[in-house]
Amino acid sequence: MSVSKKIVLLGHFGVGKSSLLRRFVEDTFSENYIVTIGVHIMKKEVSIAGEQVTLIIWDVEGTDDFTKYRPSYLMGAASFIYVFDASREVTYSDLKYNLEHLSEKYPHVPVHIIGNKVDLVDANILQENLLSQNIKPDYLSSAKTGENVEQLFENVAAQVLKND
Amino acid sequence: MIEELRKDFVKNTTQIIVSDTESRVLQSDNNILSIPTGNYLTSVHPFFYTISNLLEEPLDENYFYCVQIENLGKNYFFDIKTKIYRKSGQVALFLIDFTEHYKSVHKIKQARNESIIDFNIAQELNNELQVQRGFKNKFLANVSHEIRTPLNSIVGFIQVLQNTGLNREQLDLVNIVKSSSENLKSIVNDLLDISKIEAGRLEIKNKRFNLHLLLDELVKAHQIQAEEKRITFQFERGESLPRFIVLDRLRLNQVLVNLLDNAIKYTQVGNITFSVTTPSKNRRKIPIVFEVKDTGIGIDAENVTTIFESFTQLEKRGLFGGTGLGLSIVKQLSELMEGKIEVESVKGKGSIFRFTVEAGVSHDQKAEKKLRSRTSKSKESKNSKYRVLLGEDIEVNQLLLMRIFADHPDYSLDIAKNGEHVLKLLDHYKYDLILMDLTMPIMDGFDATARIRNHKNKHISKIPIIALSARCSDEDIEESKEVGMNGYLIKPIDERELFQTMEKLIQRYKRKGQGVS
Ligand SMILES: Nc1nc2c(ncn2[C@@H]2O[C@H](COP(=O)(O)OP(=O)(O)OP(=O)(O)O)[C@@H](O)[C@H]2O)c(=O)[nH]1
Ligand SMILES: [Mg+2]
Repeated sequence: MSVSKKIVLLGHFGVGKSSLLRRFVEDTFSENYIVTIGVHIMKKEVSIAGEQVTLIIWDVEGTDDFTKYRPSYLMGAASFIYVFDASREVTYSDLKYNLEHLSEKYPHVPVHIIGNKVDLVDANILQENLLSQNIKPDYLSSAKTGENVEQLFENVAAQVLKND
Repeated sequence: MIEELRKDFVKNTTQIIVSDTESRVLQSDNNILSIPTGNYLTSVHPFFYTISNLLEEPLDENYFYCVQIENLGKNYFFDIKTKIYRKSGQVALFLIDFTEHYKSVHKIKQARNESIIDFNIAQELNNELQVQRGFKNKFLANVSHEIRTPLNSIVGFIQVLQNTGLNREQLDLVNIVKSSSENLKSIVNDLLDISKIEAGRLEIKNKRFNLHLLLDELVKAHQIQAEEKRITFQFERGESLPRFIVLDRLRLNQVLVNLLDNAIKYTQVGNITFSVTTPSKNRRKIPIVFEVKDTGIGIDAENVTTIFESFTQLEKRGLFGGTGLGLSIVKQLSELMEGKIEVESVKGKGSIFRFTVEAGVSHDQKAEKKLRSRTSKSKESKNSKYRVLLGEDIEVNQLLLMRIFADHPDYSLDIAKNGEHVLKLLDHYKYDLILMDLTMPIMDGFDATARIRNHKNKHISKIPIIALSARCSDEDIEESKEVGMNGYLIKPIDERELFQTMEKLIQRYKRKGQGVS
């Protein structure tokens, strides 16, 4: 059995967590928004520099209040992916605050910040906005076009293996 | 009976599985999911990878609510309880089927999330519009100031040129240049007005004036224009229209000139009717209805809603020139006057523009005073924290400062043309600080400051004053200190320095109750 690692997708609702996961695992995309309730889990095996790892990805119901996350959903996570919607500022204006909460409760779990739906925004305006709020995402992605989706999950996998 | 029911209920809704810590099935009642003993649970669903984490958790029992599990083409929502027996290395899992319950929860959350997201998106769009509008204003203000200066010299020199003994042909040509540049000037003034209105820097000043006289002047001027185009111009004055009213004459005139000019511009044949009426005159405040009716080209139904926005130039109307700014100004001025502008139009038949505004009726000075004290200022200056007076004679410099102040809604700026004007305004209004140009006609900045410092009203005599000067000679700085100025800034003004200095001085002034020294 290869190593398996739990990854949790966090963020406001409607930011594209399920879409990113579906793009990564099944390489499909739908414009229809189907709300995730509770948790939906998918797995995918990736090999990083010849090393195999099974990512168990928990796609958790979105919320803007991270203190409301059920601890059992987050327990045992090797990494968090914090997704925001680049086309809706409300989904990242409270990022700092939510990150603080995570680092307090899960000090040893690394967080990757992803700005999704970049296909909908003007790159320059987004950069300016993010800069003015001092937000530095690890990746800007689009589940719709597939931009950076594989890269971001592989980056997470590589880091998880390194921390092992 | 109960036992039977319990059995049935449990059979349909719960499944109990026992596995080892590597998720290999030791026992399962297979009530819902059928999982052969010896198989790995992780091969049934990735949720069960969780089992390997349980050993590291401090508690023996854990609850996972609303876990989606697909099995044999069916989607379940389970609440799952796990219990670990550390000694024997066994894990018990209780799966409780809440599929029906969670399906109804899903419906509610779907509706809620969708509506919140729609709202977010609308808000986002609105923010974008605001940003664009701000940008447009600054752009307008900049461009119009830049154009105005050279334009003024063009208009000025054309006048000089006219008097240099030109022959007939040359005079005709100069007259064309003159009328074009005057047109251009009025467009630039419109632009400036718009940016001022939108930045909240245009003041409405209600005063008593003779309405009949204003209307007579307007009618006379437009009758001549209409005659030139061979269209009839009719004027109807309502019977009970009062002679004296209290309103902003300048802005009312601007609104009416725009409406009448448009009517003439867009009418090729037929007539224009200008009527002014009021339902009654026996009240302190009455609505007055100004109506301009033409038989011009009219407006498409779909365009009627947008003609008041700036930069809207209906395609067809483009034929007749104009920037489409006039109506935008009309709309904004009418809002500042708390009036209402409406349009009815049939394409190809003509249009009716109707402006309704409440005016004070003034037979005596008292009513006028009352209204005057309610004189409304445009949006931002009303909310400004600090009121600053600028003494400055050069228009370009006045505009430059206005532009800088437009970006600081906490400050409002009034302008005085010279030292004498500064003193006059100080007697009428309360200011928090004065910016004083040193060289001005009639009374310069030094003289004005000296008089302010000797003023008998303590609030006035202690007001902070900052000198603004293009020169930076030691003598000037020395003299400005001597007459009692509190700061000295050199032009071109550095915006940050200006606001820092003002903030500091105003704070000190307020703290001391009456003054700085
Ligand atoms: N244009 C565009 N739309 C996207 C993208 N990603 C997701 N969407 C759309 O955004 C909506 C929400 O996507 P989901 O993936 O369901 O969002 P979620 O974060 O899982 O939402 P919750 O499950 O409610 O927390 C859907 O209509 C998607 O089609 C993207 O990259 N570009
Ligand atoms: Mg989802």
